[in-house]
Amino acid sequence: MKLKQTLGGGLALMLVLLSAACGGTNSGNTNGGTPDASPTEVASNNGADSSKGLTGEFEIQYFVGGYGDSWWKEVISGFQAANPELKITQSAGPNINDQMRPRWIQGDTPDVVFIDGAGSNERQMIDDGQLMDLTEFLKEAENTDGEKLTDILISQPTAYEGTKNYTLPLVFGSWGLFYDKAFFNEKGWKAPTNWSEFVATNEQVKASGISSLIHTGVYPYYINGGLVDSAIVAGNGGDGSILTQQANLEEGSFSGPAVQKALAQVVELVDKGMIDPGAVSLNHTDAQIQWLQHKAAFIPSGLWLENEMSKDIPEGFEFGFIPSVAQGAGENNIVIPYTNTIAIAEKAKNVEAAKAFVQYAFTKANAIRWAELTGALMNIKADLTNTSASEVVKEAMAFFNSDTTTVAPVAVLNADVEKAKQDATIALTTGRIKAEEWMQRLEAAAAKVRK
Amino acid sequence: MMLTKQNPAARLVTYILLLLWTIAVVYPMVWTLFGALKDNPQFMQKQPWALPEFPLLWQNFTYVWERYGFQSYFANSILVTVGSILLSSILAATTAYVLARFAIKGGQVLYYLYLSAMMIPMILGLIPLFFLLNDMGLINSIPGLILVYTASALPFGIFVLVSFFKTLPKELEEAAYIDGAGYARTFWSVMLPLARSGLISVGIMNGLTIWNEYIMGSVFVNKPELYTLPVGLAVMQNEMQYRTEWGPLFAGLLLSIVPVLIIYIIFQRQIAEGVTAGAVK
Amino acid sequence: MTQSARRRTFFIIFLLPTFLFFCLFTLYPIVKGVQISFFDWSGGTKEMDFIGLDNYKQLLRDPIVGTAVGNDYFLVVGKVIGIMLLATFFAVAVTRLNVWGKNVYRVLFFIPNVISVVVIGVLWRYVYNPNLGFLNSFLSLFTSERVQTAWLGEPHTAMMSLLWPSIWAGIGFYMILLVAAILSIPGELYEAADLDGASQWRQFLSVTLPLMWEQMKVSILHIVMTTLNGSFILVWIMTEGGPDNSTQVMGSYLYQMGFRQYHMGYAATIGVLILVLSLLTTIILQRVLKRETIEMA
Repeated sequence: MKLKQTLGGGLALMLVLLSAACGGTNSGNTNGGTPDASPTEVASNNGADSSKGLTGEFEIQYFVGGYGDSWWKEVISGFQAANPELKITQSAGPNINDQMRPRWIQGDTPDVVFIDGAGSNERQMIDDGQLMDLTEFLKEAENTDGEKLTDILISQPTAYEGTKNYTLPLVFGSWGLFYDKAFFNEKGWKAPTNWSEFVATNEQVKASGISSLIHTGVYPYYINGGLVDSAIVAGNGGDGSILTQQANLEEGSFSGPAVQKALAQVVELVDKGMIDPGAVSLNHTDAQIQWLQHKAAFIPSGLWLENEMSKDIPEGFEFGFIPSVAQGAGENNIVIPYTNTIAIAEKAKNVEAAKAFVQYAFTKANAIRWAELTGALMNIKADLTNTSASEVVKEAMAFFNSDTTTVAPVAVLNADVEKAKQDATIALTTGRIKAEEWMQRLEAAAAKVRK
Repeated sequence: MMLTKQNPAARLVTYILLLLWTIAVVYPMVWTLFGALKDNPQFMQKQPWALPEFPLLWQNFTYVWERYGFQSYFANSILVTVGSILLSSILAATTAYVLARFAIKGGQVLYYLYLSAMMIPMILGLIPLFFLLNDMGLINSIPGLILVYTASALPFGIFVLVSFFKTLPKELEEAAYIDGAGYARTFWSVMLPLARSGLISVGIMNGLTIWNEYIMGSVFVNKPELYTLPVGLAVMQNEMQYRTEWGPLFAGLLLSIVPVLIIYIIFQRQIAEGVTAGAVK
Repeated sequence: MTQSARRRTFFIIFLLPTFLFFCLFTLYPIVKGVQISFFDWSGGTKEMDFIGLDNYKQLLRDPIVGTAVGNDYFLVVGKVIGIMLLATFFAVAVTRLNVWGKNVYRVLFFIPNVISVVVIGVLWRYVYNPNLGFLNSFLSLFTSERVQTAWLGEPHTAMMSLLWPSIWAGIGFYMILLVAAILSIPGELYEAADLDGASQWRQFLSVTLPLMWEQMKVSILHIVMTTLNGSFILVWIMTEGGPDNSTQVMGSYLYQMGFRQYHMGYAATIGVLILVLSLLTTIILQRVLKRETIEMA
């Protein structure tokens, strides 16, 4: 989850959700057991003798955040069972990105890495030459059920430098605005399908004495994902390529007419006093709790929301999800997707095992387990109807499959530009800067990185 | 003997200020306790100062106790703190003794070098230190943390102990030499015992810093069973805020504070004396 | 062994281990850190590009550095004034003013010092929470409309809101230092002052203050150093330097740049800035405070 990116209140150094048993124990077990498998045997055994499976050592690094680690443990132990000779090491935890940093610098990397959490940025890893070019592998690769990987993915791997793939999206979801259907029915408010309806609903909400939009001011990428980005795409006539242009830092991509139109919409909300005044100092939990308490009508967030807040949902609360509101009447909805990716290290010592693990993990069965264990979506087209994935996730699936919906590409901004964007957006939503300055700041940040 | 007349208005103001500050430090503790006994609806719908409703949720305490390794957090913190204090005391006392009692060439330079190290922002050396520990195989180990903390405690220890050794009378030292004791012997059996209160004060002040140190602890150790208390707490806090488990969060915070408070109250006199000893040069 | 050889051996045994330890674990990382400041380095590869003084040039142009330095000194000045005033007052109260229950205060006021900064951050974030928080709920008792101030979210209140927890957490420690200093003042001085009929205030000015000044000086320097080097932890926990970098201090900006935006070289440059400013501030302060003692004497 993107959300976990900077999540906690704590010195985000260490971040989140570590379940008591995580990481260490498992690797301890496997480490202790098989001292005899030497690397030389690996090469000779590989492929030739499939009954014995892979051998040698295999290390996987994964951030333990909002998704917990139970899926990982399950999948890894399955992979272990299929390859009993393989010595698997798990490097996991809420602070794993910072802790593994020196090893990445020295080139002593794990084989597979799940890129998530504070201190991780796939674009940076690619720039630093840490990740293996997977373009060829992904053209052919099939999972262990014999399905071609790229056929069953919901979101295709992001193309870098035009055509190259370095990462494979493992988690898929969508940003958007959330509201309480029951509450809206009770008050007679209408869930908006375009900008003028959104503003009209907001007027009604405001008249009733509560804030219309609350957001996670400490982590402004929520409102960027849930409102600003879809507005930019809508402003671009529903053409999502503008986000890719921005990610590629093209000159003018942060100040063109589409952006101007989107920012004008944000400013309209600010001018009409529709953004909760306290939101600027709220982290995600604070904001979400207050939204659940009906202190505000809408909140921008991601699809993990219902699962994340499951314990605090008041009686009778009904999650509603709107992917975008900035479009004009009759125009398509915009879905701004987010992904968390998995990758193979450029300096992986056991590439064979790394690829085999990817092929093992990306199955429909594992996707269903992911939905059940984390409540979120794995990036695989699997039938979730009978699973415990949250209702709102299923509702969102309906949007993805609708032909009045445009799914924007996943675009990962350079870390500096991303920070500048978050800063500028929070300043804009508190009325401290004007739209022009937002654009100036972003163009300047992009120009600086381009150099 | 306080014979001085005191202005009654000034007395009143004094008491009011003392009372206000007492509230400011005690109330958060009480409030944390109340919070630890509440469930989420009470947090969201009641005033923040509302008393917890019955039944009191004592299970919040057992819940955090079972989910997080408080025993090991405490054990690690105690180990790391005591280890670093002992090691840094030895290293600081020996150097401080020489710098304070002998006029050696370069002594001043050395003294100011150590002194200026107190102003070094440790975060600047964080990454290189990381590599250093990594190369030495000391990442993810209690001894590694002890070495790092010892180094961070040295400059302050030397600073205080130098001024402390300087105040000791020369006669004692001379008497020891006349008795035929060597330098080391004199230091060990005569001077060091005399400097005990200085050592205590250094130990306490460095100990407080190390006990609460968070950044290095969180970067140099990534195994839950090796977490120190601040690191464990930070992980717990993130996790619980994320799951909005406020009651258990406050229970956990309280669990981390109470043992320290009890120790503080028991050793209050010694701690005050220790700090005093350092203060009164 | 000759006397001088024994003497030399003794010096080596007593000085060398400490010095080597210091070099390895303090000096070396710092020198390395300073070295990094001359490179363009993401912190993710072995490749480092030497860029000379470019990071330093960028530092001088970076408006956020200006904000951060300003915020740091706001905290330094605020903490020195706040802590010294209150700690001195409380120290005098529990030693010279014959108040009831003085030992109790000495215990109670120290409580915040044994609490981890992580806990302090959580408690105070809750105090400042705009809707559920203690402060706004309390203020709302006196207003017709609910107070919704986002204390940590508005540039003109955020730094102030960060200052209070820092003062709160610091008082006890410095109070104990000052108590110690006052108790070491010979009682005869006060008796003499009593005989002269000097008021409490007069006694404070003419006896207590000059004789505890040395300790106050140490305390002030200690506050300055710990604030410039360590204040960022609380800042990071409470605001992460936001909104829009308005509460950034040098330490948090260093962290943001190095670990979040992958400019380890630039982060090291900020570290050097902290080091230089700490040294300068301490030296200047030492001069200033020394002069004042002379004036008072």
